[in-house]
Amino acid sequence: MKRYLYIIFAILSLNSFAAQAGGVYLQPDEFINQVFDNAPPKARVLWLKKELKKQIADILDHKYKGLRIRYWQRGDGDNRKSAWILEETGKKEPITTGIVIKDNQIELIKVLVFRESRGWEVRHDFFTDQFKQAKLKKDHRLSQTIDNISGATLSVRAVKKLARIALLLDQTIQNETDK
Amino acid sequence: MTNRKPKRFTAFLWHRRIGLFALVLIITLSVTGIMLNHTERLDLDETFVSNAWLLNWYGIQPDENPISYRVETQREDQPVNHIISAWQHQLFFDDVAITTLEQDVHGAVGVAQFIVVALDNEIILLSYEGEFIERVSTSISFSDIQRLGMKYERPVIETSEPLYYMADEHILDWDVITNEEIKWAQPYTLRDDEYQQLLIAYRGKGLRLERVILDLHSGRIFGQWGVYLMDAAAIALLWLSLSGLWVWSSRRRKMRKKKHYQKHHRN
Repeated sequence: MKRYLYIIFAILSLNSFAAQAGGVYLQPDEFINQVFDNAPPKARVLWLKKELKKQIADILDHKYKGLRIRYWQRGDGDNRKSAWILEETGKKEPITTGIVIKDNQIELIKVLVFRESRGWEVRHDFFTDQFKQAKLKKDHRLSQTIDNISGATLSVRAVKKLARIALLLDQTIQNETDK
Repeated sequence: MTNRKPKRFTAFLWHRRIGLFALVLIITLSVTGIMLNHTERLDLDETFVSNAWLLNWYGIQPDENPISYRVETQREDQPVNHIISAWQHQLFFDDVAITTLEQDVHGAVGVAQFIVVALDNEIILLSYEGEFIERVSTSISFSDIQRLGMKYERPVIETSEPLYYMADEHILDWDVITNEEIKWAQPYTLRDDEYQQLLIAYRGKGLRLERVILDLHSGRIFGQWGVYLMDAAAIALLWLSLSGLWVWSSRRRKMRKKKHYQKHHRN
């Protein structure tokens, strides 16, 4: 009998842990500070033109809410590094993600705020490390395969979409600079 | 004249009576069941109910009063007033729901190019037409916003310290300024017609069609007794299946007897 009670207690504890696993892991401003060694550059904005908005909507499978996106950038040429704070809904709540792009590749991706009760496993390094060095292919898909996490499919999908958008936005600012 | 009395409570009679009684309920169960199986295709989870009777039935009423600010914008060099309201985690531009809110509102002003709405640690930028431009966390520069005002057509924030920050024209950076000549945003009391319009807009996003169909299916739309009613419909359906089987088999038996009788007693 005692054994069963322990099992029930363990299951309940796991459940409550899962429910509490979401939250603010890193404030967006702290993320920017960390990325730029506590001396972040001034924020810039990218206004979303019609075509770019359409491309983003194609990636998201829904309309993007907003007319401009803020980013931080330092350096130029091969040393150019841009940081983005983007949000996408997993199941019902938005997942806030910080993404750093360098040399057209993802250098770092971090889940900053997770508000859903399930799928928080996407915050772990074993998942986010898969994105490192990922590029954007011509069809706006990632150059690398990202493994799914069972039970966190929607969160995985949301983070993958954000990674593709960050690469697309970085590509856009690079094209605008080159013009 | 025969002494035979008609059988008043045969399975067939009850099959018919219960069938008629449960007809409407079974149709409701079936139709709503099919609809719920195709929720996404029918957009049930994205369609909102606007029927006033249903909204009243569900008691969709906000608990608090809205917090509103009147902002002045420009259209073709003419001043145009709009009302920005925050009501139970929703932000409204006049009577249009714009976005959801996780923080309290501390003011709204119309500055050059934008409408700025200040929350605890965020600002929301809207266009003069009410389009959502951006939601920006201000915690990189300051936090704990207390008031929002305006100076030289630019937004000014008062924090709890208190310190005063004025944004640049693109609202990207904030500089510390002194508390002078700042016109602070004042809460605006809605007129009755404005309140009613906002209430319609608020309730418009309050009840999803999926909820209504689900409650119709379970009977919960009519309260606790509705659930029992739908239970009765389900039991009736069970009874109909069994009594139908019984009626069919007894008729079959009778037909066999009849055929047997006709075969052997033809003459």
